[in-house]
Amino acid sequence: MNLGTRKLLDRAFTALGLGSIAVMAMMLLVVLVPIVSKGFSAIVFKSTVEHRKMVFNEFHRGNRSALEKEIAASDAARRNVYDMLSRFESELMLMNEDKQQEYTEKYDQVKSALRGLLGPLPGDSEPALTRLTYGQNRWEKAEEKLQELLYEKKWDYSNPDVVAKEYFVSRSAGFEGTSLARLFPYVEKNIDRMLLPEWTFYWGFITDSSVDSHIFGGIWPEIQGTLFLAIGAMLFAFPLGVIAAIYFTEYAREGFFNSLLRSANSTLAGVPSIVFGLFGLAFFINTLKVSESKSVLAGSLTLAIMILPTIIRAAEEAILAVPKTYREASLGLGSTKWNTIVTVILPAALPGILTGGVISLGRAAGETAPIIFTAAVSVGSAIGLADVFTSPTPALSWNIYNLASEHEAAAEIRHVQYGMVLSLISIVLLLNLSAVILRARISKKLKG
Amino acid sequence: MIMKHFRKILLSAALFGLMSSGTASAAGKLVLDGSTTVGPIAKAFASHFYKETGTQVTVSESGSGNGAKSLINKTCDIADMSRPMKDNELAAARSKGVNPVEHVVALDGLAMVVHPSNRVNALSKAQVRGIYMGKYTNWSQIGGPNAPIIMIQRESNSGTQDSFKELVMGKDNPISKRTETQSSNGAIKSRVASTPAAIGFIGLGFVDNSVKALLIDGVDPDAKTVKNGTYPLHRPLFMYTNGQATGSVKQFIDLPKTAEGKKIISEIGFVNYY
Repeated sequence: MNLGTRKLLDRAFTALGLGSIAVMAMMLLVVLVPIVSKGFSAIVFKSTVEHRKMVFNEFHRGNRSALEKEIAASDAARRNVYDMLSRFESELMLMNEDKQQEYTEKYDQVKSALRGLLGPLPGDSEPALTRLTYGQNRWEKAEEKLQELLYEKKWDYSNPDVVAKEYFVSRSAGFEGTSLARLFPYVEKNIDRMLLPEWTFYWGFITDSSVDSHIFGGIWPEIQGTLFLAIGAMLFAFPLGVIAAIYFTEYAREGFFNSLLRSANSTLAGVPSIVFGLFGLAFFINTLKVSESKSVLAGSLTLAIMILPTIIRAAEEAILAVPKTYREASLGLGSTKWNTIVTVILPAALPGILTGGVISLGRAAGETAPIIFTAAVSVGSAIGLADVFTSPTPALSWNIYNLASEHEAAAEIRHVQYGMVLSLISIVLLLNLSAVILRARISKKLKG
Repeated sequence: MIMKHFRKILLSAALFGLMSSGTASAAGKLVLDGSTTVGPIAKAFASHFYKETGTQVTVSESGSGNGAKSLINKTCDIADMSRPMKDNELAAARSKGVNPVEHVVALDGLAMVVHPSNRVNALSKAQVRGIYMGKYTNWSQIGGPNAPIIMIQRESNSGTQDSFKELVMGKDNPISKRTETQSSNGAIKSRVASTPAAIGFIGLGFVDNSVKALLIDGVDPDAKTVKNGTYPLHRPLFMYTNGQATGSVKQFIDLPKTAEGKKIISEIGFVNYY
């Protein structure tokens, strides 16, 4: 090969490498930017006075007198709306039956749209569900609800051969000639006076429990459950894994039995996580009966089995990477084998062992399948440390799935789901970051 | 050196304090498992019950079949089910010394839902059966637009699926193999809401503006028609306990009979039985 071609190939390879790095970075941006921006919208958003009412009533936070002033101001703006409603109702009573029927249906739609925006109307009986007790908490959702109030979505079925197209009809036109026609422009113009939007940093999203199955409130029980499960898994898997690694590297004699154990370990690493979940249910809950129902304990044990192979492999690699000279020096000074392992080899291997451990911790925090049957519930409050042996817990990974698919009002509370995703990613990222820092500090110490 | 350790200890103590600040479990707890259809009722009851009595209630939505299994394995106090227990489940329960007792929570109409853009507003039961058997493959065959029908069903673990088979399909008519499967009411709803040619079935409490519920045999599914039985696809929703309920389990299971409980059920969109 002549020099020219070689140079050309070299450059082509460099370009290819840079290109693939650029594509990777782009992909990462495409994934991360929406996660972060949408996730933050759960914490930082334009809240309405209804949100502040909710926080004050459900969590007893906020300035009472300031809130009362706000409520008075918004009520002053709302009174006109309520007056228009009652005026229309008395007008409705005087109409003939046909007209009454025609308007009643439309009027009910208007009322339910108003309820979605402002909360219960005067004369409504007090709702039993918290989600119906307050109007729209978030300004961007309120703007959507306003559109629903102003315009009715209809479908054009005129062409039988194709799928219908949607079009919007102004509701106020439907009430032309009645006193209610004035309501729509009034609400449109005064909506911000009725809801008083302002930018809010709702840190309660992290620290509060959820209210009325995630419609309001925060995700603390989920965050706590995730931490409990991951740390619990670590408590079981880490000591076991390190001991197993010491056995493999220091004590085991090469032979049929040993290679069997090793291949069992590798196989375990490749088992799909849902299999661990079902195994956990069958073994820990139904057979061993570690707890009466799903519990953090059963979930932690299941996760521990799942991450065990990774920890063993990482610890093994780390121990094998300790220079032979360390061992020889220690033994040469008359130390016993066990003493050498504990005082010389393990400390030297610690950074590697810890890194493997913390990375598995991140994996345990993010897994869904192993905890579906062993630990996770869709609704539950934050549990105390004393309850981990008996109580199941909500956990981020499972609740993200639950909110994405099963929740009856999934479309209304996407922001909660986004917030959960961001929290989970942050937790895993923080764990991995702490592994890096820990590793750096310990290696510095060892170098002395 | 001592200071350094002290700081570490203080930090971990603070962390543990934060962790253990969960609400105490002194007042006892209830574990519910089962149907995703009964899920909204169970969750709303749970938060109401916690407010009233201080008893913690956890709810999992894993399907009626799993609810029954949990009750049989004694891993839950109450099993939510959208169908009655089957004979083989009852036999399994008895062999494990569990005595399932049935409680009706609410009534539900199985709403057949399509995308709002679909011009079809009403179908007969026979037409729905025909669709799911694969007899009709295009909406134009039953008065709709020219688009192939996408049928969506629930997984085999689902009580809603069993109800659908019983109420619509009958014993001898298998569901077509082309039917797509989703694993919860919410998943079917969002699939139908995003697919113009789809049809699916969900509990009445899950119906909202994003989908259109069809009239079946000319009857609109709502609280009145489900209650008086004129809507053909109606069914009770159950909660099962092990033996006659006592204590807080009884208090919980009796919620549908109280005024507050009735209000919760109708506000979610289901129909009161009592």
